[in-house]
Amino acid sequence: MTIPSGHLLLLAAILFAIGVAGFLVRRNVIVVLMSIELMLNAANLSFIAGSRMHALATPNAAPDMQGPVFAIFVIVVAAVEAAVGLALVIAMYRHKRSVSLDGVHEMKG
Amino acid sequence: MATATVAGALGVVFARNPIASVLALLGCFFGLATIYLLAGFQFLAAAQILVYAGAIMVLFLFVIMLLNLGHAGGLPKLDRAIFVQRRSTLAIAIAAALLGAVAFGVGAMHEPAAVGAMPEHGLDAPASLAASLFGPYALPFEATSLLLLATAVAVLVLAKRTRTGGGGS
Repeated sequence: MTIPSGHLLLLAAILFAIGVAGFLVRRNVIVVLMSIELMLNAANLSFIAGSRMHALATPNAAPDMQGPVFAIFVIVVAAVEAAVGLALVIAMYRHKRSVSLDGVHEMKG
Repeated sequence: MATATVAGALGVVFARNPIASVLALLGCFFGLATIYLLAGFQFLAAAQILVYAGAIMVLFLFVIMLLNLGHAGGLPKLDRAIFVQRRSTLAIAIAAALLGAVAFGVGAMHEPAAVGAMPEHGLDAPASLAASLFGPYALPFEATSLLLLATAVAVLVLAKRTRTGGGGS
């Protein structure tokens, strides 16, 4: 109740920035996937912050569930993305015996 | 709590061992769930712990152990060896720009004053959440079920061992 929603937005930005940095600089593809999860969580947190700001400013209106509903959809998509990504990692490991992104250039034009 | 969350997130990026990364991410998700709880979203906090900490992280750990990536001998000796050197400057610049933009926005934002007390069941009471999921959001909800089915099939196809020779699957 006492947390300002702006601080939640700021925390979301920090998490997203860390996720972007990790996504760009790490070589291990599993850590890259975890950075994506981090970014999805930051998006979730900003949905939450917006919904909370709206809900606390208009307490007598009917509850507006857009924020939580979209956060749930993001969680589902994150789970799906992790499953497909890890299946790709396993396929790549079988193919190359490595999870490093260094030797992956099949898609380069 | 926010400090713990950010520390977990930093641990993900800077840990050398992938298992340490997973554990740091786990800490980060628990911190986020606590923040959801403190912010008044009780159902989402529970969902965060169940789905992220319970399911996704187990999946990551399972894959790491399956591929035997956490063994001690295989760790890179140098801290620098885990990073792609030429992208580091770019990444830090992008991250700093994002952070600066949002910090500027939040600083300039006029947050509406909270006029009411927190409802007893939090801001995401399961009853109203279900009413919107099966009301206005029924179509995305059904699309999600289709997405999950497609994912299950896709993961089976991807993770199946490649066929040697001509036999059917």
